[in-house]
Amino acid sequence: MNDSNAEVIGRIDIVLETIAETIDEGAFPEIGYFGSSKKNVDYSDLEGYIPIEDTPPYIDGRKVESAKTIAGLVYGLTRFKEHLEQKMSMSLRDFYYMHKVKRVQDVLKIENQTETNRLINLCERIIKHKGTSIPREEFGVVSSPKGTFYGDVTLSDLSGKRLNCNAAGEYGWFISSRPFDVQIYDINIDAAIFVEKEAMARNLIELGLPEQMSVGVGSLFGQPGRNMRAWIRRLSDNEVPILVLADMSPWSLRIFSTIKSNSIELSNIRGLATPKARLIGLTTKDFWRKKGLLHGIEHSLETMSSSDIKCARQNQNIPAISQDETLRKENDVMLKKKRKGELEAFKAFGLPLSDLKHLYIKYLKTKAAANDVKLI
Amino acid sequence: MLTPKGYSPDITELSVSAWFYRNRTIAGFDNPARSLYVSIRELVENSLDACEDERVLPEVSVRIRREGDSRDQDLIQSGPEIFELIVKDNGKGIKRNDIPILIGKMLTGTKFTLRQSRGTFGLGGSLALLYGQVTTQEPIEVVTGRRNESYGHRVVMRLDIETNQPHIIEEERIAKSPDESGTMVSFQLQGDWIRSKRRIIEYFSQTAIIVPHASLLLETPTGDVLKFDRLIDNLPIAPKEMKPHPRGIDVEMLKKMIGVTRAKDLKSFMKRSFQRIGISTAKEFLKYSQLESDRVPSSLHQNELVSMMNALASYKRFLPPSPKSLSPAGTSVLMAGVQRLSPDFAVFRQRAPNVYEGHPFIIETGIAYGGGLGAGVKIFRFANRIPLLYDERSDVSYRVVRDLNLKHYGLRQDDPIAFVVHICSTKIPYKTVGKEYLGDVDIVRREIELGFKECLRELSEKVRKRDRVHKQRMRETRLENYYQFMSESLSAVLEREISIKKLFSSVGDDDE
Repeated sequence: MNDSNAEVIGRIDIVLETIAETIDEGAFPEIGYFGSSKKNVDYSDLEGYIPIEDTPPYIDGRKVESAKTIAGLVYGLTRFKEHLEQKMSMSLRDFYYMHKVKRVQDVLKIENQTETNRLINLCERIIKHKGTSIPREEFGVVSSPKGTFYGDVTLSDLSGKRLNCNAAGEYGWFISSRPFDVQIYDINIDAAIFVEKEAMARNLIELGLPEQMSVGVGSLFGQPGRNMRAWIRRLSDNEVPILVLADMSPWSLRIFSTIKSNSIELSNIRGLATPKARLIGLTTKDFWRKKGLLHGIEHSLETMSSSDIKCARQNQNIPAISQDETLRKENDVMLKKKRKGELEAFKAFGLPLSDLKHLYIKYLKTKAAANDVKLI
Repeated sequence: MLTPKGYSPDITELSVSAWFYRNRTIAGFDNPARSLYVSIRELVENSLDACEDERVLPEVSVRIRREGDSRDQDLIQSGPEIFELIVKDNGKGIKRNDIPILIGKMLTGTKFTLRQSRGTFGLGGSLALLYGQVTTQEPIEVVTGRRNESYGHRVVMRLDIETNQPHIIEEERIAKSPDESGTMVSFQLQGDWIRSKRRIIEYFSQTAIIVPHASLLLETPTGDVLKFDRLIDNLPIAPKEMKPHPRGIDVEMLKKMIGVTRAKDLKSFMKRSFQRIGISTAKEFLKYSQLESDRVPSSLHQNELVSMMNALASYKRFLPPSPKSLSPAGTSVLMAGVQRLSPDFAVFRQRAPNVYEGHPFIIETGIAYGGGLGAGVKIFRFANRIPLLYDERSDVSYRVVRDLNLKHYGLRQDDPIAFVVHICSTKIPYKTVGKEYLGDVDIVRREIELGFKECLRELSEKVRKRDRVHKQRMRETRLENYYQFMSESLSAVLEREISIKKLFSSVGDDDE
């Protein structure tokens, strides 16, 4: 942490020095940054979203609004620097309140947190290290961590304590806000299954599946946060096959695509995409193919709401979905049939719990095998 | 019911003054409040005319003094009171022998010429004195002196309404310097200051706008002094007396003109009596009206007069009336006058002369914006250099302003805007006998509208430019604030002084 802090502080100093010198010499600063929009980003099946920087946009300090942005940037960087030096983190909300200091408020007149969030985002787009953007977590700005992981993985997080993820509470380990800085000592799992819904993940843990199948079970709690995505990537980098278990809905396709390919918005932050991640369900084939594993409970499918349909339509324009054959087909079928399935559908079989466990095991093994991952 | 048998013994012939006094409401003397205002206004206008005729820069002072001690009275509850009104000017003064005739008698003109003048009847001043005498039974005092004379006159007199004759009660010569000239009229009248105060002050303020070459002073009954010093030292060009235009007369007038003409035949009558008619136009017209050119004018019968009048009205080839009889205020004068409102900007336009019912008129429009003007749209109306204060909403200019789309010019209804309109004409198109507002005459309306629109176009450009400059200044201030803030933050974190001096010494060059 100290090394990384020192590096980031060094980068901040360079930026501040450059701006100071420019002003001192009587010139208005111009600051180039990475602009993330579809035209600045390429999609590749192997790497997810990749930033392209042909003509990076820049902030022109001669313009009033740009000067305000640069003033905010300078102030933000001085705050980050102080926090890093003191080994303190801050939340996005903390950062917003730092702009309510009277002398800052009088000049910058920040009206809401969206403005300060944008400033942090800009810092990530401006300050680079070894060609890639430095994520805000490295500046000490963390959002509330989201997501848990249960399984036989030994690590030490920012607390500095060494722990095993299957002995850290009923859900396992609460994912660190800075997974880049987590040290992994030992991994004793054959795969990691990340479940969209917390209830389903808890059921799998309660039924003892992680131990029985030698897998890790992560709970995404809906759309995964940056920390969770970074953690998934870390596991994948450690050769752990990543399987994602989500609803059969347009929203879940987005969740999976974010894990697999990152997002356009954050394409400048490397280490958030896990191209090797595999979607193991629920899929349209599970319900609608005659030999589909969930064909028997097709009647449990729900009608898609108008917002579901809107989401599916928008998915058609998201490169990570529209350019991925599997995801595109899933989206198209859903849009055609206008029905969606949820992880809770397993309960619609009405099976005794012991049989349900077998069904889960059978489902996971079958789907993992289809993705070239062999589970015991 | 009228019968042809003759006059009833109760019916007597009225003198001009008796008729006017009985019908004084026509001239505005209908209640004590309005009478006080109208009296002041008529006398001030007489004074201004007297000075301008003499080509001297007017200095007019008015003093209103409450007669008797009314300090203990409840002023709001109390009715009309008696006031002494003293109006003094530096005009040419009046010859001793003319004093009773000019001031003490109601006169009507007999000359058939037209010229722009302030007065409505030309009798308002005398009527004011008459009103004062009737309501207080007190005589009138006139002090007057002429230039190059070493003495002036003080005359105290009373008017006899029934006979239209003045009676001199007292008179004396008073010593004065030969350089001095002017007239002071003082008399008592019934009035209501509380209810007319606002209007009188408004009248002075607006007169000061349209007559910026005059010094005006008003001393109120409460001892307050309202003073408007002159803003410019040049007098307006005096209007020329012009013969009437054939389109601007009626049968009665035609009859009178024929009665006094010395012309031997109709063609020379036409040429001599009307403006813009030469011998050939006269001949053509008489041919058109089927009258012989050589006919003796006085030989025309009543029905021939009527058909000649109709022909005058329908003949299309008369040249338009000459605007030489008009004396517009001029845009520079209006511009000077409007400075009394201390606006940020003012724009004035004078339209080309136009014609309404055989009378020439010129519309001058202007718009003042910002500065000392309060929020909202105001209209200042002037006719022949007198302010019109009553019935604004019925006036054609109010309708024009109401229908203007200020948004088109980047302005809003609640912006501080004053519209100024001045019409000068030998016949102002008043709508009613009250003569306080202009009727909705198409040609007048169009001229006012076009005038205002021209002004708006120029004004909006100025306002936009000011806004641009203002925005630019705001931008520069903000920019400097941001860099000041940056330099403070950077100086603190880098522990050395970061200055923006160099940056902002060159900011002007960068922007240009």
